[in-house]
Amino acid sequence: MAEFLELLNYGFVIRALIAGALISICASVIGVILVLKHYSLIGHGLSEIGFASLSIAAALNLPYMLVSIPLMILSAFGILFVSQKFKSSGDNAIAIASTGALALGILINSLNNTGANIFSYLFGSVLAMSENDFWVSIILSILILAVYIIFYNRIFLTTYNSEYARSLGINSTFYDALISILTAFIVVAGMRITGTLLISGIIILPAMTAKNFSGGFLRITIIAGIISFLTFTAGIFLSLAFNTPAGAGIILVNIILMALIFIFKHHDR
Amino acid sequence: MNKFLSLENVNVNYGNFKALNNINFEMNAGELIFITGANGSGKSTFIKTIAGLIKIASGKILKPSKIAYVPQIETADRDFPATVFEIVITGMQRPRKLFYTRQDKQEAMKIINALGLENLVTRKLNTLSGGQYRRVFLARALCGKPELLLLDEPCAGLDIKSHRDFYDILAKINSDGTAIMIVTHDKGDFNEINYNRIIEISDGRILN
Repeated sequence: MAEFLELLNYGFVIRALIAGALISICASVIGVILVLKHYSLIGHGLSEIGFASLSIAAALNLPYMLVSIPLMILSAFGILFVSQKFKSSGDNAIAIASTGALALGILINSLNNTGANIFSYLFGSVLAMSENDFWVSIILSILILAVYIIFYNRIFLTTYNSEYARSLGINSTFYDALISILTAFIVVAGMRITGTLLISGIIILPAMTAKNFSGGFLRITIIAGIISFLTFTAGIFLSLAFNTPAGAGIILVNIILMALIFIFKHHDR
Repeated sequence: MNKFLSLENVNVNYGNFKALNNINFEMNAGELIFITGANGSGKSTFIKTIAGLIKIASGKILKPSKIAYVPQIETADRDFPATVFEIVITGMQRPRKLFYTRQDKQEAMKIINALGLENLVTRKLNTLSGGQYRRVFLARALCGKPELLLLDEPCAGLDIKSHRDFYDILAKINSDGTAIMIVTHDKGDFNEINYNRIIEISDGRILN
């Protein structure tokens, strides 16, 4: 324990904990909406497109945020459009886009020989977060939370029933697009924590665990945020203790917690 | 009586399919009208068009500014984690208004009390009975103080007592001056409430 507390003296650990916790909370809050709207795959699709964008940024020697953010927003719109327009084949479209993006990323990466850098984005390296990444993550997280709070009532309504929202004169397509943009931001910000391969886990898993609790939308969202914070912290300390990638630890802690809560909830039935 | 709703030569198409075919219709303030017809006849399309949820291909609609639409219960996700209050208060939402005022919350509570839902405000939707569930959606619709209330199959699947209780509430709302249009395929509903007219729709046309 003393050794762990000693780690808190290091700036890079504190940076990782603050930025990672904030991003995890944002991811889980948006995750509740994606799970309830049955859009879970959008996060997964975007994460692999995120990998392609990182490969492009590395090949062009540009800051990854500069390439990732516009590309991810465009992709989020594209996925949303296809999902809504061709409901039955929406999942197929996401599968094609995500595997295509992964293949493109690997190809660009191998042609440009940028393997080591890309590896850290695939599997995450939150403890190696630069000061620049740290501040970008903090700003993105605050922006996501602020937009979420400002539009909370609308987001709730359009998540619950977009047809009813339209009957009140509210443009539900705008709010679907807003959620897609926020998801894109989360993926960009979270790529440092779990890597692009596991980012959809920190978006979806706390929300799915929180759904096992009783209460309304607000309560479930708060519980998802708390679960996300706790599992992130546990995952980070596991990674420090066993010298393993943080992302894998966070995801496995989430899955173990989800299984325990599921068993606890159903053991009397 | 003021004619406050009128449809002139309204056509609605789903691709090549004519869902509503040259509809001409008028309704007076305070009326209660049943819309009936077989499955797929166009009756739900008819009230969704009035609610503004479906774009018309041609024609003209004049309607009151405050219309509330209560969708078919099957379209709502019952397992969605939301409390009764969280759902009812959404009826207070308006374009260009992002937050609820204290007055909104008080008025929502007043409607919740009037519909006998006061002990259920923190209950999740999936713990409610069929009758309670319908009253939640009615309460939400009433939050907008509608001049016209549109209900799509509001009592489908309810037991006899809940069915009767629900129509008693609608009779009270109608007697307070709110015009009501009810879509139903169950002709037994006509015995539950005093109405002005029954409109029958078949193949996207008004028969009578």
